[in-house]
Amino acid sequence: MTPKKRKRSPAKGRSTKAPRRRTPPPGPASTPVIAAEKADAPTALDPASAATAQSDDYSEDPDVTARMHELEERLDRMIDAHARDRRHGEPPPPPPAPRPTPPPPRPALPPEGVLETARELLSADFYLRKWGRMGLRNRSQEVDDFGHDPVYEQKVLPFFEFLYEKYFRVEVRGMDHVPSEGRCLLVANHSGTIPFDGIMLRLAVRREHPLHRDVRWLAEDVIFHFPFLGSFTARVGAVRACQENAERLLHHDALVAVFPEGMKGIGKLFKDRYKLQRFGRGGFVKLCLRTRTPIVPVAIVGGEETNPMLARVEYLTRAFGVPYLPVTPTFPALGAVGLLPAPTKWKILFGEPIDLEEYGAESADDEVLVGRLTERVRGAIQATLDRALSERRSVWFG
Amino acid sequence: MSNVARSGSLASVVGASGKVRVVAVTGAASFLGSHLVGLLEEDERIGRVVAIDIKAPQSGGKKTRSYELDLTLSAAETRVAEILTAERVDAIAHLAFLSSPTHATAWSHELESVGTMRVTVAARQAQVRKLVLWSHTWLYGAHPSNPNFLTEKHPLRAPTREPYFADKMEAEDQARKLAQRSPGTTVTILRTAPILGPMVNNVFTHYLARRLVPTMMGFDPLVQFLHEADAIAAIHLALLRDVPGTFNIVGDGVLPLSTVIKLAGRIALPIPHPLAETLVGLGWIAQLTDAPPSFLKYLRFLCVADARKARDVMGFRPAYTSREALLDFVNAERLRANRLLSETTA
Repeated sequence: MTPKKRKRSPAKGRSTKAPRRRTPPPGPASTPVIAAEKADAPTALDPASAATAQSDDYSEDPDVTARMHELEERLDRMIDAHARDRRHGEPPPPPPAPRPTPPPPRPALPPEGVLETARELLSADFYLRKWGRMGLRNRSQEVDDFGHDPVYEQKVLPFFEFLYEKYFRVEVRGMDHVPSEGRCLLVANHSGTIPFDGIMLRLAVRREHPLHRDVRWLAEDVIFHFPFLGSFTARVGAVRACQENAERLLHHDALVAVFPEGMKGIGKLFKDRYKLQRFGRGGFVKLCLRTRTPIVPVAIVGGEETNPMLARVEYLTRAFGVPYLPVTPTFPALGAVGLLPAPTKWKILFGEPIDLEEYGAESADDEVLVGRLTERVRGAIQATLDRALSERRSVWFG
Repeated sequence: MSNVARSGSLASVVGASGKVRVVAVTGAASFLGSHLVGLLEEDERIGRVVAIDIKAPQSGGKKTRSYELDLTLSAAETRVAEILTAERVDAIAHLAFLSSPTHATAWSHELESVGTMRVTVAARQAQVRKLVLWSHTWLYGAHPSNPNFLTEKHPLRAPTREPYFADKMEAEDQARKLAQRSPGTTVTILRTAPILGPMVNNVFTHYLARRLVPTMMGFDPLVQFLHEADAIAAIHLALLRDVPGTFNIVGDGVLPLSTVIKLAGRIALPIPHPLAETLVGLGWIAQLTDAPPSFLKYLRFLCVADARKARDVMGFRPAYTSREALLDFVNAERLRANRLLSETTA
């Protein structure tokens, strides 16, 4: 695109609504005009979307569609020709104010020849256009409601696959407990100073489930405060943990994973590993009661040894927006390298689903019931964890 | 509630006796105002359009009566009441708000906050049956703790030290106060997402019109837009239907800001946010930037609203998705850059 000649100073002074520069043409010109303009305007960026926008009315008439395409192409060509003429006809920095309506005759040069190409390659516009096209190469043009970007995830997937297959050697049991359709809440223990369990759970279900269902996991708010971390986790499928988001996902019959231990889970000291912390205030049970969602308890073994936390420094850390500073055998002694997870052997065990169908939606307000159900889920996960730990012979080989 | 949405638009016009025949539009020469006047001019259900602004809208026709009036003057209150009574106005669309922040904060306070008070008091005096107020989803504020889709029940948490937001929040409060005090008046508050389209001109189009678009390094919030035609259609719909309450008027779908900039054919310029706050702060003082630093939060955190209530209760369905609105704006920019779409001067 060429530089803009439009003046865009915010109108100051006595006007009821600041910018007035582009007032519409007089007369009964309002939405219909805009709509008409849309139909006329060549959507060079995306002709397909323009076609689909119109296809409601004209789809049954191929003639009209073909004619429209033809007209759009013609208009596109006209615009391009016009732009080219302008670039050639006048030096860009100070465009002569009264531009002759028929563009000045082109200088005698071999048309579409070497000069043309050279000029094209020398113009900044060419590179800007190329840049614009390259910009979306690693991104899908559309993301879902929560910002999950499938193309971006595909790009970073090999790294996570490596972690899953080679590094943590994840073993999955009880996948048949995960339903093939409909909403379901996976409730798991949270682990590791740097939590990989969300993405590993997502990969496990994607790879091992017969229908390869997509898991969206709910992540702590704290990561969305930080640059890079928040946008990255959202692109690979995490959703900020809050009732509204979870409810919206479940209403779309999604498979949602939560870690009710939350920050307390990540911040577990090594001596407390696999001892489930308080499960929040039972928000996930209330959510399931309200939305009539079955719960599948999930025990993740191995994750809690990846970054064994020896101590937690909470002094002065709030000032930096971090809840605490973890001290592991390698961090902060070795710097950022010290945050690399240890290659422990992981097991993800899916338990029997807990059906809440017998309780009505109104029982979400019954605190005694919510507390009891929370304990039941917590007990189920703790029991699975304990059993798996007693069977485990080695942290590294399972 | 849902039967309102399902019944046809003619049937749900405020009952047989309470039909809206005369509509007053404040800020009638503004972008939304002049288009709304044009739309009402064509609507055969509307008998008369009363345009109130400091100048007459260009879109006015035979049905339109223009009153040149400055809402920032203290005499405006009685004058508006006189006009509303004399013209026997049924409904007011109050659109006299700024769509870009200004340095003249005392004046904008007088126009937006106090001006709304004047209009609501006048509406009460003249016993106007309906008030439609234009507001903004940005008033929810951008916070990392926001749910991905903010409903109308969510508290308004925009930075109140920024006059652009504070005045609009006060205006909403005035409108709610009117709804409480005079039960005969239906008050509808429409919170629109940033409006994009081929013609509209606001702080967000200024932002996207730059060749190098500054972004906050490491942050890529989801954003949503509303097409200008949908914005006008929503105000029109709210005038004709009896729907008290607050509604988020937003296009379907969300886009990451990085994708928005790429689709617009611009180049993102990532700046670390503490540095950007300082630079934009200085730039705003020097009148070099379009917006004060408090707007930078919207480039870091989520502020996306849920359209469900407007769809279910009001029956509003946007014709353009967020992406289509953006592409429509981008195409018009392209034509404008090649000087094929000339700018009509007001």
